[in-house]
Amino acid sequence: MKKRLMALTLAAAMCVSMAACGNSSSSKGGSSSSADSKGGDLTYSGTELGKDTDLKADITVFNHRTDMSSDDYGGTTWKEYIAAFNKEYPNIKVTVTTDTNYADDALTHLQSGDYETVMMIPAVDKSDLSTYFMPFDSIDNMEKEINYANTWEYDGQVYGVPSTATTQGIVYNKKVFSDAGISGLPTTPEEFIEDLQKIKDKTDAIPLYTNYAAGWTMGAWDAYIGINATGDTKYMNQKLVHTKNPFSDPGDDTHAYNVYKILYDAVSKGLTEDDYTTTDWEGSKGMLNSGKIGCMVLGSWAYPQMEAAGDKGDDVGYMPFPMTVNGKQYASAGADYSYGINVHASDTEKKAALIFVKWMTDESQFSYNEDGLPVTKKDNSTKLDFKGVDIEEDEPALEGEEDYLNDMNSESELNINNGGNDKVQAIIEHASKGDESFDDIMNEWNKKWSDAQEANGIEVKY
Amino acid sequence: MSGAGSFKKWITSRKVQQVLIVIGFSLIPVALLMIFTYIPFGEMVKFSFYKMKYTTPVQNRQYVGLRNYMDVFRRKDCFGALKLSLFYMVGALVQLVLALYLATILSFKVKGGNFFKGVMFFPYLISGIAIGFIFKFFFTRGFVLDTVLQWCGFNLADLPYWLKDQRVNNWSLVFTSVWRYFGQNMVLFIGAIMSVDSELYEAASLDGANKMQQFRYIILPSIKTIVTLNIILSITGSLSAFEPPYVITDGANGTGTYFVIMNRIAHTSQKVGLASAMAIVLLLIIFICTILQKLFFKYVFRDADSEDESYKAKKARLKAEKAAKKAAAAGGAK
Repeated sequence: MKKRLMALTLAAAMCVSMAACGNSSSSKGGSSSSADSKGGDLTYSGTELGKDTDLKADITVFNHRTDMSSDDYGGTTWKEYIAAFNKEYPNIKVTVTTDTNYADDALTHLQSGDYETVMMIPAVDKSDLSTYFMPFDSIDNMEKEINYANTWEYDGQVYGVPSTATTQGIVYNKKVFSDAGISGLPTTPEEFIEDLQKIKDKTDAIPLYTNYAAGWTMGAWDAYIGINATGDTKYMNQKLVHTKNPFSDPGDDTHAYNVYKILYDAVSKGLTEDDYTTTDWEGSKGMLNSGKIGCMVLGSWAYPQMEAAGDKGDDVGYMPFPMTVNGKQYASAGADYSYGINVHASDTEKKAALIFVKWMTDESQFSYNEDGLPVTKKDNSTKLDFKGVDIEEDEPALEGEEDYLNDMNSESELNINNGGNDKVQAIIEHASKGDESFDDIMNEWNKKWSDAQEANGIEVKY
Repeated sequence: MSGAGSFKKWITSRKVQQVLIVIGFSLIPVALLMIFTYIPFGEMVKFSFYKMKYTTPVQNRQYVGLRNYMDVFRRKDCFGALKLSLFYMVGALVQLVLALYLATILSFKVKGGNFFKGVMFFPYLISGIAIGFIFKFFFTRGFVLDTVLQWCGFNLADLPYWLKDQRVNNWSLVFTSVWRYFGQNMVLFIGAIMSVDSELYEAASLDGANKMQQFRYIILPSIKTIVTLNIILSITGSLSAFEPPYVITDGANGTGTYFVIMNRIAHTSQKVGLASAMAIVLLLIIFICTILQKLFFKYVFRDADSEDESYKAKKARLKAEKAAKKAAAAGGAK
């Protein structure tokens, strides 16, 4: 008898939990259809901070900033941001979840259909944006509110608001550079390699730390092949997919070839760490701070972390990438991860999420605190100083070609700016073992690129 | 009225009740099995015939037939990665021999036996990710392993870079895997050995069998099921090695096993179809390996089965038959 009772309760419990699943999904379906008709109020430009302060909602936020979840974080933590937010909006409860493997896990969350109210948009095709996220506003309205509005634009609608914007350069230790007798910052790959050699000869520091083992730090090199290496704002999103052999040497110390060649040369000349397979990303921050590392090639987002990683934050500096195109240095500015709002959330949750995103952008000073470039149009303060460097923003892909780069990345498996870490790691392996010349590696990449252009039917124009 | 009555009678009859109960009780487990195992597996089989990304909507998926399967065999990195499994298979064999050896010793009376069992089983309880981090530091130049070896008189300059040098890095990773799993194998072996009737040992020692002979003729035949099982699991495990290379080296520097490459293709390059095809090819390889092993063990343990005719006896009989035939033929010729 007892056993039967237990089986019954179990069965009942299962039915209830299954029914619960069914319920939540059906309510989601209902709200999403009603969302389109309402509009107006549920837009970014229609959201005014300081109004609706009695709005009551629970929202969840999923993002990649695990460091900001820790109380030890040197800058402002999530807790502090949310406390400040709740002063103004006491009834909106914000729960932040962070994840170290964000780029992959976020996609899994999306695919499951049950995901957080606010998410940093992972690598999804632009044509699929509307399946997962609600549009913030039209592109025209958004361009009046924020910079980098076109980052997640599709069909005239904007689906993502950048959390901050970063530029691309090199984070370095000023003291190590001056100890090595380097007066001016390098502006060409050649000068840069010479400077690294000086650091090796005159100091005990590791001239260039590759952070090979972390993986994604290698993929970070891809960010330099666009504006930094070409000075062309159309290169990354419009021309690259149509370029024949983009990894060939143009002969003037620019373009992708010479970006990756810096890495190959530095490794083959022994200007990097001794054992690259056991590099330690967390430890490298403190090592750069204390002068055990000369420099690392990372986006400006890494700059505040290096400053906060020890007591010599003043020694840490950020310099432009050593590449000069027609006598001028360029830096690309671009949006970091962008907030997207769950299209299946209820209208109240959407409203609360809109308020939260707008507050993070306009009032939280998040971008300034994280040493980023300003996102909101209302305030242009920033801690970065690139004197004489032309900071440009990548133009978006042409209409109808939005998915070309994603398709090319997938087909060629080079995954440029999309987690293609292994290809850059391979450069280091070959440079260290000396079993493959740099030109051979680049020819391989060219071949993969051409094959992918053929497979995707993308016309070669440049 | 009478229809309802007969239905009631029918439904309460013993046979029907039995069937209902069987159906009722198996419904939930079968449903769970279908929902969480076979339907997803069926989906994966379907994916393997398409060119698609995770986020591609169903109507945009492109049917490509067997192209993904052909790619698996054509691409250097997919099938080449299976070569790395050989390292792990060698490791698995070392691991099993070691586990069997220690299990045999520990199943006799040993001082502090339980302590040793605990110590050797312990690594299995640590999460694979933690082990990855432990060994990353363990193998770092000038850290734990190098320091210990220097105490033993080695010169740092003579030591290889454990993870950088492509001649040794796969062995380093295999070592971590052996370190982790041999304790578990050992415990399984000990469990099996315990079930051997201890009177057999007594009888054997009365007959003058030494420990080695006891192992060969009593223990090994008695635990052959567990040995077979462990070998099958280890070989399957080495074909699908994932954690050590993924956590310690991120699959870079020539350590990318089949699973790591599959993960990269599926999640970085988003070639879900190709990755699904890889998974199915691996499944088939594992099937084949398991069947081959089954046949192999049938051959190895053939004379251990008392019901079967012993191998030697069979050989002797065949020989005798042949000789008889020959003799008969010779007689006929005369």
